Amino acid sequence: MSSIGTGYDLSASTYSPDGRIFQIEYANKAVENAGTVIGIRTKDGVILAAQKLLDSKLLVSGTAKRILTADMHIGMASAGLRADGKHLQTRAREECKNYRDNYMSPIPLKHLSDRLGSYLNAYTLYSSVRPFGISTVISSCDKNGPQLYAIEPSGLYWGYQATAIGKGKQLAQTELEKLNFDELSMRQAVFEAARIIHLVHDPTKDKGFELEISWIGKDSQYKHVHVPAQLYDEANELGKTQAESGRMQE
Amino acid sequence: MNMSNNFTSWGRPFTDAKMDMYGGDVTQRYQLGAQQMTVPDDKFSEGVQKTQQPIVTGTSVIGLKFKDGIMLAADNLASYGSLARFKDIQRLYGVGSNTIIGAAGDMSDFQHVQHQLDTLITDEYCHDDGHSLGPAQIYEYMSTLMYHRRSQLNPLWNAFVVGGVDPKSGESTLAYVDLLGTTYSAPTIGTGYASMIAIPLLRRLVEDRQEPLNKEDALDIIKTCMKVLFYRDARSLNKFQVATITKEGSEISQSMSVDTEWGFAEGIRGYGGQTQ
Amino acid sequence: MVFRNSYDSDNTVFSPQGRLHQVEYALEAVRQGSAAVGLRSNTHAILLTLKRSTGELASYQQKAFKIDDHLGIAIAGLTSDARVLSNYMRNQAMSSRLLYGRPIPVNRIVSQIAEKAQLATQQYGRRPYGVGFLVIGQDQTGPHLHEFSPDGNALEYVAMSIGARSQMAKTYLEKEHDKLAECSLDELIHHGLQSLKASLQQSKTLTPLNTSIAIVGPPGPNESGVKSEGSFRILEGDNAKPYIDALGQEEQTQAQTQPTQQRDVTMQE
Repeated sequence: MSSIGTGYDLSASTYSPDGRIFQIEYANKAVENAGTVIGIRTKDGVILAAQKLLDSKLLVSGTAKRILTADMHIGMASAGLRADGKHLQTRAREECKNYRDNYMSPIPLKHLSDRLGSYLNAYTLYSSVRPFGISTVISSCDKNGPQLYAIEPSGLYWGYQATAIGKGKQLAQTELEKLNFDELSMRQAVFEAARIIHLVHDPTKDKGFELEISWIGKDSQYKHVHVPAQLYDEANELGKTQAESGRMQE
Repeated sequence: MNMSNNFTSWGRPFTDAKMDMYGGDVTQRYQLGAQQMTVPDDKFSEGVQKTQQPIVTGTSVIGLKFKDGIMLAADNLASYGSLARFKDIQRLYGVGSNTIIGAAGDMSDFQHVQHQLDTLITDEYCHDDGHSLGPAQIYEYMSTLMYHRRSQLNPLWNAFVVGGVDPKSGESTLAYVDLLGTTYSAPTIGTGYASMIAIPLLRRLVEDRQEPLNKEDALDIIKTCMKVLFYRDARSLNKFQVATITKEGSEISQSMSVDTEWGFAEGIRGYGGQTQ
Repeated sequence: MVFRNSYDSDNTVFSPQGRLHQVEYALEAVRQGSAAVGLRSNTHAILLTLKRSTGELASYQQKAFKIDDHLGIAIAGLTSDARVLSNYMRNQAMSSRLLYGRPIPVNRIVSQIAEKAQLATQQYGRRPYGVGFLVIGQDQTGPHLHEFSPDGNALEYVAMSIGARSQMAKTYLEKEHDKLAECSLDELIHHGLQSLKASLQQSKTLTPLNTSIAIVGPPGPNESGVKSEGSFRILEGDNAKPYIDALGQEEQTQAQTQPTQQRDVTMQE
């Protein structure tokens, strides 16, 4: 059934007669309009990559990062309303801090996903709030090994080998499915991610963008950091040429 | 519409309760007719005891400024009263990459402070914006923390020496803060027993020195002081670590000891098993 | 009351396109305010504001505010909302100095108010703030210019304009933005005034009364009594006059001489 004009789509606390909650679906629309984010879990670490669309050429390059850090060992990247993403980072930071205060050890990513999932879910239960207009990919690598999760506006979360959210989700996912995860190293994943982000970007239609890549694993001493400048430049350049030649062939 | 026209009963506009570092809500002070918060009566408040004395303790920490930075030292002993209870305790602790603190006094309070500082550094890491807390800022934080706790009559029972070199400005910091919130900064610092036994030595060897002090000579001076402290301080141990902080970074050494001579002690009354 | 559509009555409603209309209307409130322009070079960050007056007997509004020694803002939109936020900023700046002995990093204080603003876009019973800021300041990492907006975003720019007719100012800035990094303070102010002037209605001009200039960074040749580290200051009236005069005279003689040469001559007066 159509949602618009029925009156069943004006609040997160209202079901439509066929059992849907339209406000959550509309929140997903905010996600689908945003720059692509991908996450890849390899055997020795996890990488995140984001396509930061540039709304203005007056922006200072390298600022307004989309890949954020919630604890030494936790990275997160959201697609959707940027300010909602910042809000969730603050919440994630609190969760990590509380866990460390209580247990004197770093929070397992599965636990954090569950906490954040519940938090997002709470914003889908009442008419006095709106759902978060973001999906978030979170990464970690600790004694439990490399882990990757994604959380949706509904509060639903899943663990992934690799995932993509945002505008270029479909194409990126197709590309990710071609990867051989038994062989892929974290370093190789950086290059794959750069290539895919460049591939989903259509220079004739989309505005300009900045590529962002972070990693966590042995190569980063198990801390979540943006990849070193040299590796970044290499991956960015190669990704760009690969994507261009890919488009030429089509 | 059934609405009170007494505007003070409409509730408060959004305020951020976290804004006051002391846990209070600063905005409330400016709230017209805001209802006074009533603190619930704690039936057990009479029975709550604040820290009255330290339990497991570390003895003195010393520190000095040399040409390229700061050197600190503390032994590896944690005493339970006069009992040498733990002999492998590290009392030097790195905060970020350019600051090291040394702790005397209650070791559990010290562990609490370590956790606080870790949280602070992690917060800073998560901002990921090119800003970092240098030794001067960490010292300021610790001073505020210690003074705040003593003002609540619930002190953290420590004396801390904070040493570090700011990687950007190259400026070195050597400073002291204790359970009373007392602060000072000097080219040589010693806490507790060392403030009586080691400070005169340090002043002569470091502050009265004419030529610049290099790292090797600084280490010799530190060892001399640790030796004298071991001779004189009954709560000390001849097993200690030395921290060095320069513009390049910081490191805490493996435990080391100094050669001591006790042959003369036989002639001293009160030494060993003598009864007289 | 008739709403423009069914999805704009409060800020807890997403439109079918995933937009938040109430938040977008708050951005309109910023566009009702008079214009403000901000620019940044390698050494300085500056703000230029256009002040309104309600009549000949009235004074001009205040558009630029000091937050801390190293930090200040220009506002466009609801002044009373700005007062709430700037009060909060002053508290935050003070607490950073008290707790760490550190002037608060510019990006952090801007994110803090942005986070406050975000909350007001997600809950019923509160309206989003109706004011936008340009924030300038200097810290460990140099001079900075940020824009704060009621949708909860805080972004860093090399140059930006907000308020009424600010698109014209922005067009000027977009044309000149890659020259700004190397500008001297006087050149930067000149670009700023040009940009602000571009936002004026045809009949209006910039005067020492309706223009104020705020600066962080080392003192310029026209300034006296500013400390070498160059804390936040606002130039108004007579203090702003030389810069504004330089702008006008240049226009008249533009046909004959190179603009830069002309500016140098007038600045020395």
